[in-house]
Amino acid sequence: MEGRRTLSDKLPAKLLTVRMKHRVGTVSLDVEFALTKPWTVLFGPSGSGKTTVLRTIAGFVRPEEAVIMRGAEVLVDSKARISLPAYTRPVRSAGQTARLFPQMTVRENVAYGVGWDSKSEAARGLVDEVLKLFRLGVTTESLPRDLSGGEQQKVSVARAVASAVTTGGSDGALLLLDEPFAGLDMRVRDELAVELKEWLGERKTPVLSVTHDVSEAFLLGAEVIKLRDGRVVQQGPVGEALREERHRLIEHLGVVDQLPG
Amino acid sequence: MDFEALWLTLRLAVGTTAILLVAALPLAWWIASGRGGAVRALVQAVVALPLVLPPTVLGFYLLIAMGPLTAPGRLLMRVFGHPLAFSFSGLLVGSVLYSLPFAVQPLVAGFSAVDRGYVEAAAGLGARPAKVFLSVVLPMARASVLTSAVLTFTHTVGEFGVVLMLGGNIPGSTRTLSISLYDLVQDGNYAAADRTALVLVGFAVVALLAIYLLPSMRKVDGRQADIVR
Repeated sequence: MEGRRTLSDKLPAKLLTVRMKHRVGTVSLDVEFALTKPWTVLFGPSGSGKTTVLRTIAGFVRPEEAVIMRGAEVLVDSKARISLPAYTRPVRSAGQTARLFPQMTVRENVAYGVGWDSKSEAARGLVDEVLKLFRLGVTTESLPRDLSGGEQQKVSVARAVASAVTTGGSDGALLLLDEPFAGLDMRVRDELAVELKEWLGERKTPVLSVTHDVSEAFLLGAEVIKLRDGRVVQQGPVGEALREERHRLIEHLGVVDQLPG
Repeated sequence: MDFEALWLTLRLAVGTTAILLVAALPLAWWIASGRGGAVRALVQAVVALPLVLPPTVLGFYLLIAMGPLTAPGRLLMRVFGHPLAFSFSGLLVGSVLYSLPFAVQPLVAGFSAVDRGYVEAAAGLGARPAKVFLSVVLPMARASVLTSAVLTFTHTVGEFGVVLMLGGNIPGSTRTLSISLYDLVQDGNYAAADRTALVLVGFAVVALLAIYLLPSMRKVDGRQADIVR
């Protein structure tokens, strides 16, 4: 068998380029960045505009001014009045809140956006694999209302993952995940994040995720784009981009260690 | 009791409900989507018009439009070989227009209540708008679909003014139950009128029970699903 190639061997130089200006609430966004790594994290405090950036790429927010390209394909060009409808973009997304379709089982939810013939053996196998990856095996026939918040969150991300890896087209789909591990307990999150990164890497599906959690960014060993007050203040490997935040976190932990108890 | 009129009324109500469900679903979804600006407002007003217009006014205009006095009426006569007025097909057209708000408005309310986050979630999984509507929106608004169908059906059963203006009173062709009741009273036949009225009351009660007795239909509604979570 041929040795596994990592995602970056096959990826085009620029997976996604974004240049956008947009006002939302009190934040005036003005960002410019390019994705080149398999997993990039948009990092920033609440209200820094992360979610709006993600939603604009997905096609749910019409920006005041923007040029967004996926490889050579133009998704948005406000000057040329181009804005592809969300469902035609080579992008799959899972929002901050798990909007599971209430009348469908967990399995049906996960299979919803699969790009292959849904009755085919391959599609079924893939859905099984994703369910297993997310440790949803025992809940496959449950309805969303019978799940815990954490389980719902996992199904929401699993659904986007299953859709992204089965999307056709020249470059496949870019996966957009807004706080994908929110609400999961730490141990589950740690395992899942690492396994998911590897699994998606094998399938050459790049990810842009949003978080304000320092440890999550380190766990993923991701490229980090740091956002503050609607501006990109830094982009680079997590060790560099979040050095300050890491120190602060360790300091806090150190203080806790020294507490009498 | 006039069983011919009962049979005709049922055919008219089923036909009207079937036609209106097919037509009202996309129309209501478009109205609920909030696009279209002034055009949408105009369409909403036209849809709601039968609620406030005297049925005889609607019946009168339809009578003129379908008769030999106007160009569209003459065209229809040539297509069908007979005037649409005073025929069952003409009655069907009149009923569809007259019951339009009863079909559309519950659907608009139901569709508007479906959280747009679900539509977005489906689009974010690459689903085309038609798929989103059929597989996500419609099941979540199914209580409203039931309400719409029941209201259209019962409203058509109870129609009087439009039917009288447009259909005349031809046994087997345009005489519905409500007109038969009117005739019976005119003839002083109160016993038969009583039985006919009772049937009409029965229709209304059963229909309303169908709406209120099915709480399960309401539970899967989008709003409820959110509350359950």
